Amino acid sequence: MSLESEVTVVVADDHPIWRDAVERDLAAAGLQVLGAAGDGEKAVRVCAAVRPQVLVCDLQMPGLSGVEVTRAVVEQGVRVLVLSASGEQQDVLDAVKAGATGYLVKSASTAELVDAVRRTAAGDAVFTAGLAGLVLGEYRRMAAGPPQDDAPRLTERETEVLRLVAKGLTAKQVAERLVLSHRTVENHVQNTLSKLQLHNRAQLVRYALEQGLAD
Amino acid sequence: MRLDTALWRALGVYRLAALLYAAGSGAAYYDTWQRPRLGLAVLAGMAVWTAASAWLYGDPRRRRWPLLVLDLALTLAALLASVLVMERARILDGDPTITVSWAAAPVIAWAVHGGWRGGLAAGAAVGAGAVVERGGASQATVNSLVLLLLVGTVVGYVVALARRAEAAHARAVELSAATAERERLSRQVHDGVLQVLALVARRSPDAELASLAAEQERLLRRLVAGPAALPPAGEADLRALLPVGGDVELAAPAEPVLLPAAVATELAAAVGEAVQNARRHGGGRAWLLVEDEPGAVTVSVRDDGPGIPAGRLEEAAAQGRLGVARSIRGRVADLGGTVVVDSAPGRGTEVELRVPRV
Repeated sequence: MSLESEVTVVVADDHPIWRDAVERDLAAAGLQVLGAAGDGEKAVRVCAAVRPQVLVCDLQMPGLSGVEVTRAVVEQGVRVLVLSASGEQQDVLDAVKAGATGYLVKSASTAELVDAVRRTAAGDAVFTAGLAGLVLGEYRRMAAGPPQDDAPRLTERETEVLRLVAKGLTAKQVAERLVLSHRTVENHVQNTLSKLQLHNRAQLVRYALEQGLAD
Repeated sequence: MRLDTALWRALGVYRLAALLYAAGSGAAYYDTWQRPRLGLAVLAGMAVWTAASAWLYGDPRRRRWPLLVLDLALTLAALLASVLVMERARILDGDPTITVSWAAAPVIAWAVHGGWRGGLAAGAAVGAGAVVERGGASQATVNSLVLLLLVGTVVGYVVALARRAEAAHARAVELSAATAERERLSRQVHDGVLQVLALVARRSPDAELASLAAEQERLLRRLVAGPAALPPAGEADLRALLPVGGDVELAAPAEPVLLPAAVATELAAAVGEAVQNARRHGGGRAWLLVEDEPGAVTVSVRDDGPGIPAGRLEEAAAQGRLGVARSIRGRVADLGGTVVVDSAPGRGTEVELRVPRV
């Protein structure tokens, strides 16, 4: 219980009704809500000021988009859980490439939300089937496109794990099915994200160099 | 129509300017007229008609053939009156008629009202009047006849073009107004109803209510988002055709999964049957995974039901049951694809439909 109460959160969403409800639910579950923000710039400012473990972030906000907010706060060491409405798949993928480690649809239950925030705080990737499908699709897209030397590839095992997660199996079920430890499954899942994020960052740096924006 | 108002007003201005020119020309040749009083009367009549026609054409309801015919008739009368006013010899010498360019006004009126055909007809009528007045075709009368015919057709044609452009512009304005209204509505819906529905979906203790709210939230969001980017002609995005929502969760790439429209429809129908099957025999929930590879598109349908014991599938097939499974296999085989059923007791059932890209 004492450990749980140390999970610190900031909630960013431009809809007051929704934001208040999420704050109340998280607080009721024993998490410490350090602040809230109704737009992208404020979310970045609040995170810089109060240094939460987790930012629960909507993708569609006025000002800075959720993807830009994610990129900014991940730099500060804040973990990002994207809480998005259905039908923003490209945005979700972009946020994940920018460093978000979790994704939940807005219609997920309170229990799922609280659990997801805790796991994000603990450094686990919160993978829904939908996110696994997006990540898998992104690797396939890169593999099918023009060959790039540094484009990340999935190992056979990672592909196997991602496919099962995308089919709705829990990490525990995946572990049983593949006769692996729970931890190994988590690591595989996390690796798929890290490679994507690393590649995304490298691409941004290269782009900046090419455009002469960096020195 | 603002265009028409402007056109008829321009005609009035033309008639007035032409009247002033006719008056000046009349003053210069007044001494040569054989019946100066009649000439003055004709000019006065032209002035009255210039004013009257401007007023008459001012109302769209009066811009009809009777008025246009009257306009043409009065103008021809004024034109032909030159025969009585001027000396025969001077007419043949090519002195200006009383009406001069004022006579072209009804040609423009006919062109504006009746298009190039109307302009052509009135041009021919006035041109013929000029020929009669001069007592036969000469270089000058042929010139003015050709000029009148050209004015009639060109003005008629250009006016028709301008009307079409105005109509297209009006449609564009309407469309942009509709788009703006749609954006305003979707902002409203997005800021209010959608948030509340999502909240109900998440917090309602009533599972059925929560699921209904989630479903409505999804549908409404798709509605206010407007039509997605259209796939290329003849192709369809498989993701948009799949039966999702409620207890069916979809995992798919972020980018459209494009297939020939007929293939996509047939594959989606087969997936639909597999989903129904999963809901009936599985635990109620189903997961869909769409994978897009260069060589093939794969859709997996998984449920977390009791699963099918080894041998049962073969048994059922041997007994002629498994109608649904056969229908799924049939559809996918027709697309040159394969179906793999994977199941074990306690592990749910997974149906994998794989269709090659041709």
